[in-house]
Amino acid sequence: MEIYLPIAEMSVQWLVILGMGFGVGFLSGLFGVGGGFLLTPLLVFYGIPSGIAVATTLSHVTASSISGALAQWRKRAIDFKMAGVMLCGGFAGTAFGVWLFAVMRRAGQMDLVVSLSYVVLLGTVGGLMLNESLAAIRAARNGVPPSARPLNRGWIQALPLKARFRKSRLYISVIPPILIGFAVGTLSAIMGIGGGFILVPAMIYLLRMPTSMVIGTSLTQIIAVTALTTLLQATSNYAVDILLAAILILGGVVGAQFGARAGDRLRGEQLRLLLALLVLAVFLRLLWGLVVTPPDFYSVSLGA
Amino acid sequence: MKQLAVVLLLLLARPAAAAEELVSGVSQDTIQITSNYTGSDIVVFGDIEGQQSAAGRDIVVVVRGPDTDIVVRRRDRVAGVWINHDAAGLNGMPSYYFLASTRPLSAIANAAMLARYDIGLQNLQPDSVHSHHDYEPFRQAALRHLGQEKLYSETPGGVEFLSDTLFRAHVPVPASVTRGQYNVEVFLFRAGAIESAQSTPLFIDQTGLERRLYNFAHNSPLTYGLAAVLLAVIMGWMSSVIFRRPA
Repeated sequence: MEIYLPIAEMSVQWLVILGMGFGVGFLSGLFGVGGGFLLTPLLVFYGIPSGIAVATTLSHVTASSISGALAQWRKRAIDFKMAGVMLCGGFAGTAFGVWLFAVMRRAGQMDLVVSLSYVVLLGTVGGLMLNESLAAIRAARNGVPPSARPLNRGWIQALPLKARFRKSRLYISVIPPILIGFAVGTLSAIMGIGGGFILVPAMIYLLRMPTSMVIGTSLTQIIAVTALTTLLQATSNYAVDILLAAILILGGVVGAQFGARAGDRLRGEQLRLLLALLVLAVFLRLLWGLVVTPPDFYSVSLGA
Repeated sequence: MKQLAVVLLLLLARPAAAAEELVSGVSQDTIQITSNYTGSDIVVFGDIEGQQSAAGRDIVVVVRGPDTDIVVRRRDRVAGVWINHDAAGLNGMPSYYFLASTRPLSAIANAAMLARYDIGLQNLQPDSVHSHHDYEPFRQAALRHLGQEKLYSETPGGVEFLSDTLFRAHVPVPASVTRGQYNVEVFLFRAGAIESAQSTPLFIDQTGLERRLYNFAHNSPLTYGLAAVLLAVIMGWMSSVIFRRPA
């Protein structure tokens, strides 16, 4: 059951690829993350060249995000105004990221930068989420009624250019969403991810959006950013393998539907605890790879 | 045409007492990579015409892929973290190198002779090198890694004789080979010297849908990128419609 990929120029077991797509799609439907941070390392581990893995993962993320976003849209759980504001920063960030990518590649330290950004980001975000969701679950168990959403405090409330986001029941400055969009756009181009695992916590903890709105809104932002990055990768690096993408997407979109269903049965803080554990698991795996003595000190790439 | 005829005539008219002559061929002159391509096996075969004696003659079969640039990186521990610290670029190395011989190379000819004709993995040298240090450890790492991927191999005893003069060698071509023109070289050694040699081209190319997709991606990348995005959008939307739950 092998199939030859025209751009990656190698043959793969398509059932394995389909399974990877399904598994990652399931998680994306469940948590509202694109799953790029899982799929890219999985594909590289399977033997797909990392450039192709990064670029092709993005179109998988687009597809499962659309699938998930439509499910959220029917639940009226998307704040389009917020998504639009974040995208202004997102597109600028993507362009900046593509430029930064080229600079770092010339300096020959792309791998290190990518690994370190993964480790720092996943470690920080995973730790924060784990802490918060455990506290919420403990509070619920002790019979404390779930507290009302805490009010915005400090510097975010003090910023100018305030706008009303009716869906999210927020009245905040547009500067933080634009900055978040910019940061995630940059990371998307550099790391080959949609950025959901940063967007979701940033929207919950920094913007204080309701969790019910966060998933649909972040998916909307991810769709636009990954679509743009796919285009840029296809035109500048010829790195998008459309056949690989099709197999991944097929598994991914089906998985996303099942994931969204499973998500209905879990409470917000339970979802966040599971996502935190997943993020931390990937963090530990990547940290291990950086710290442990490699079996072979040399790596070889052809046609570079 | 006339010139060719003259050459042929001269060749045929050579006295029978001349040195031994090698005649060889390949089971396929092209390999088409299709959607179910998982690697293949070609056979290089040949015959020694006018063989003087079966003793003391050796056959070496070499298949070389198109040249490529290889980048080898070495990881070092910096502040507790393993990072790519040093790299060497080896330019003009074969992307594929297969060697089969009747006996170990060292028994067939001396080192200088083998080096002159690029025979043997240890004689593969880059045309140019980008490195701050001695590149030899990096070259050895490249030989080791490509060997593990079955792109580089050397098999003493890989050439078998079917009769006194008729020989063949099986050449495995893995799915990860580069497309392009390959060269099949067959050498006849006697007493450490090359008696006769023959070179045959072999083409490896994609075909059908794979070829069209590859061309599409490289000739009109913007349309290709849009198609990839559109594919993602349509498949995402379709699954959502198919799996739609009653509201």
